[in-house]
Amino acid sequence: MTGRPTSSHITLRVNGAARQLDVDNRTTLLDALREHLGLAGAKKGCDHGQCGACTVLLDGRRANACLLFAVAVQHVAITTIEGLADNGTLHPMQHAFVEFDGFQCGYCTPGQICSSVAMLDEVAAGWPSAVTGDVAATEIVLDAAEIRERMSGNICRCGAYLNIVAAIQEVAP
Amino acid sequence: MDFLYARSWDEALAAKAERPDAVPISGGTDLMVDLNFDRRRPDALLDLNGVEEFTRWERVNGHVRIGAAVPFTRIINEIGSLVPGLAIASRTVGSPQIRNRGTLGGNLATASPAGDALPPLMVADATVEVGSVRGERTVPVREFFTGPKRSVLEPDELIRAVLVPVADGPQQFAKVGTRNAMVISVCSFALALHPARRTVAGCIGSAGPTVLPTPDAEQYLEAELADRRLWDSRAELDEAVATRFGELAGAHARPIDDVRGTADYRRHAVAVLARRTLQWTWTEYRRAQR
Amino acid sequence: MTATTAIGAGLNRIEAAAKVTGAARYAGEIPLDGHAYGSVVQSTIARGQVTMIDADAVLARPGVLAVLTHDNAPRLHRADDTDAELLVLQDDRVRYRGQAVALVIAETLEQARAGAELLDVTYQPEDHDVVFAADHPRLYAPEHVNPNYPTDTSVGDVDAALASAAIVVDATYSTPAEHNNPMEPHAAIAQWDGDRLTVYDSNQGATSVRQALTTLFGLADGAVRVLSEHVGGGFGAKGSTRPHAVLAAMGARFTERPIRVTLTRQQMFAMVGYRTPTIQHMRLGADADATLVALEHTAYSQTSQVLEFAEQTALISRLMYAAPNLRTRHRVVALDVPTPRWMRAPGEAPGSFALESAMDELATACGVDPIELRVRNEPSVEPDSGLPFSSRNLIACLHEGAERFGWASRDPRPGVRRDGRWLIGTGVASSTYPARSAPSTAAATALADGSFVVEITASDIGTGARTALTQIAADELRAPTERVEVRIGDSDFGQAMIAGGSMGTASWSWAIAKACRELLHTLHEIGTVPPEGVTAHADTAEDIKAQAQLSRHAFGAQFAEVRVDVDTGEVRVPRLCGVFAAGRIINAKTGRSQLIGGMTMGIGMALLEEGVMDPQFGDYVNHDLASYHVPVNGDVHDIDVSWIDEHDDRLNPVGVKGIGEIGIVGTAAALANAVWHATGHRHRHLPIRPDRVLTSLA
Repeated sequence: MTGRPTSSHITLRVNGAARQLDVDNRTTLLDALREHLGLAGAKKGCDHGQCGACTVLLDGRRANACLLFAVAVQHVAITTIEGLADNGTLHPMQHAFVEFDGFQCGYCTPGQICSSVAMLDEVAAGWPSAVTGDVAATEIVLDAAEIRERMSGNICRCGAYLNIVAAIQEVAP
Repeated sequence: MDFLYARSWDEALAAKAERPDAVPISGGTDLMVDLNFDRRRPDALLDLNGVEEFTRWERVNGHVRIGAAVPFTRIINEIGSLVPGLAIASRTVGSPQIRNRGTLGGNLATASPAGDALPPLMVADATVEVGSVRGERTVPVREFFTGPKRSVLEPDELIRAVLVPVADGPQQFAKVGTRNAMVISVCSFALALHPARRTVAGCIGSAGPTVLPTPDAEQYLEAELADRRLWDSRAELDEAVATRFGELAGAHARPIDDVRGTADYRRHAVAVLARRTLQWTWTEYRRAQR
Repeated sequence: MTATTAIGAGLNRIEAAAKVTGAARYAGEIPLDGHAYGSVVQSTIARGQVTMIDADAVLARPGVLAVLTHDNAPRLHRADDTDAELLVLQDDRVRYRGQAVALVIAETLEQARAGAELLDVTYQPEDHDVVFAADHPRLYAPEHVNPNYPTDTSVGDVDAALASAAIVVDATYSTPAEHNNPMEPHAAIAQWDGDRLTVYDSNQGATSVRQALTTLFGLADGAVRVLSEHVGGGFGAKGSTRPHAVLAAMGARFTERPIRVTLTRQQMFAMVGYRTPTIQHMRLGADADATLVALEHTAYSQTSQVLEFAEQTALISRLMYAAPNLRTRHRVVALDVPTPRWMRAPGEAPGSFALESAMDELATACGVDPIELRVRNEPSVEPDSGLPFSSRNLIACLHEGAERFGWASRDPRPGVRRDGRWLIGTGVASSTYPARSAPSTAAATALADGSFVVEITASDIGTGARTALTQIAADELRAPTERVEVRIGDSDFGQAMIAGGSMGTASWSWAIAKACRELLHTLHEIGTVPPEGVTAHADTAEDIKAQAQLSRHAFGAQFAEVRVDVDTGEVRVPRLCGVFAAGRIINAKTGRSQLIGGMTMGIGMALLEEGVMDPQFGDYVNHDLASYHVPVNGDVHDIDVSWIDEHDDRLNPVGVKGIGEIGIVGTAAALANAVWHATGHRHRHLPIRPDRVLTSLA
């Protein structure tokens, strides 16, 4: 066991790069990204895991960055919206959000896109959702109902849900 | 605020003994809300993410032993068929993001009556392994909660794992909410049939100071099933029996009026959910024969 | 009117790439060198006095730079039109729970928040009055209702007509407090340079914020610059300056450093406005053939002790139906509550719930189809004023919607369609929203390389304004959109209408069209563009003053299907259909999105959203997104949106009516009418919660 003072020198692995920073132990991953690393793509919408605007990927799985301490996520690979595009080429999901107008004000958008990218991986891995008929099912049919349920952790107050579902359907295999 | 790390169960216990004020944190999905909303200002946190055994599950003597920090997502995906009631409830916890981080240990420690995983643990007769430097003990989930957000956990104790018997019959969970998803339950209900023992167990969530068992409803249903020899015949269940079961279950609710619904509504909704979960489990029981 | 090439096309949003890659910077994300953080401390009583603030302990904490309170905060200046909510930290009075009583400024966000949480504030509380009621003894008639409409109107003799009417509907409806909840919490970062102030702020109109800050800090014209390139939604909550911007500027002046103030989601529930609760008494009288003989709409709403905000709830009844005897009234009560403000379709959103529900009740009472009832009572001129309509295609919308939705096969009987545990029903309601324009200025510049730059202090809060204005400018300049850059969100571009009242595009497009036409004229005269470029300026103040007196409104029809769980009372919405007549739709893609967005918020209004006032503490208790439910993806299934091809050349040069608000007008009534059709029970109080549905079914 190691006791630490109230601030820490940490290394975060963000979008493939190791980033060193000094943070207050109270600093959330979200604030570390936004205030310390200049990565303001992940948004702060509610501070309690209800809106999903802060969604980032931890080892490829989606999580709310507002509910994580920066000091506690040094062991994982963090992907933010800034890490999705490949050398200036939009990720297919980003492209689909543009084409299908899957956003309006854009504030929830980075979270929606990170969430939907991870969601497709979850489906590919056969993870059931609350609307999947059989908990033990291994093949998921990703219809609109499945997408809606699986994307319900990301609030869009502008009401772009229909277009978000259409964008995801375009990218889904 | 101090941030303490533990890399093993023993380290964690030692840390907790030294700093009983340190709040354990794993997924953080409950605790971080309290911190971000300034409801709690702990002097220290004890990060349990480095304790590898907390993230393991294993089969032990007809049980699944689920480490305190196994996230809901893995319960759903990896042991859904062994503990179906818990898996069904886990699918409705918060959002997918929350389910990737949230854990059984957190749900138990928070002891909120709205913790969706708790009713299925009750009806499955799960037990909680807790420990401190003073020693370890197991506590049945039925005896774990002492009030709203209160449990038998001592200040120096940590939750190590939850032992859930592998389902010996159909299990179900249902909840009511205003929204279609991301629902914080207005109320919920879990039901397990135990055909070998010829018993049933029901439990109410979100409609009382703690999750609530439903003994009157259970006794009634057990008697009906026995009198009508339904465990053997696997015949259809009378609508009236399901309805009566629901009413008796609803009578165990101890709800309050709040922004999510009136007390009367909650009592009624518990009855509806109890009836429905009974119909679903009984249909499954009948089908299992063929 | 403008010849169109770009207009009408479904151009992707111009800032789309920035928004999907996370590169777009919102106000709270602008990094300024050496900035510190301000955290707001809110009052914990609803009425009384701050007797002491002990800042010493907080000031002693690491990183804390200052604690601003009414004792030490910079003094603000006020003008006649100063919004009293902006006079923060000027006195010791507490006028509502959640009012700013201090600002803790620290080097880091964590230090500022911890300091704010620990600040010891002592109060002398007084009895508060926070409970809104239609029989409140302090109800009064305001001088006018928002923005400047008569409080009461009366045509004919409503009482006499009702007394002799064959059929009367007399019912009271209510809507709760609703909270805008744009996804981006309000944020501002302020920096002083001598007596010049720069503020990056989250708002719907940078010039209105510039104006307010100029007055409050007693500055010279032109001393304040407000920038808001990207704004994360507003729905009215950012329609004027909010206290966070004033606090940031005060903090920056006090500490002589750039200060950022970002509200938390929870703080927003008290500090940025909300939709007032309403109680509405409707009396409709009709002949046996379903012709309206009388319509009376009396609306009650609340305001605060800080300033009067009088929601124009009954406005809709002044223009919708041809009642020869027509009376509307508004009454307001000032309570110890936060000041209500605009929320998407203020007036029309709650007003349409009452009017369009009452029309449905009347249709049933008369035994006619609800669409037929509206057709029979279609006015030829605006009933209240007698003014002609610039265009009115309500009936076309109703008929087109009926066709798309499959209304013709509807069995009018309530409570007879069941699919397992679900009762099924359908409903219809009309939509409308004023189509106004307000003075704005714009500049259009031709550059030597053949491209153009248009500057206007427009705000794109998600409406697609930047994109629509580019399309308009391109057509005016007869240039492809790629050659036209529209710059917005900078108060230095000059006075312009806010993104509000569905007036943004109508107002901005007018100024842009005028500037572009002027520019083309100049170019024609000078032949070639000089190396430094050439600019034309436009101001539409005189043009708008010269507009003919007409009733200008957008119209629409909304259809809803609901499924109601007979056991739990849960309501689901498998489909909505909206058809609108809103003048020219500039961008088919973003226009559709905006209308769908309005209807989606309408689902929330109908079924989910409700600010619950705690009478004891004087607070909206469900002030977070876990307990104040807005629609999530799972709540929204099929929404079919379309529009009538409407050409109205008496609006503005581009023929725009505005579509920001009409989408939410009528949605709740269509859903409530569908719930009635499904269950046979009328829900006159929003939201239609499961417990209310179940009580009615029992």
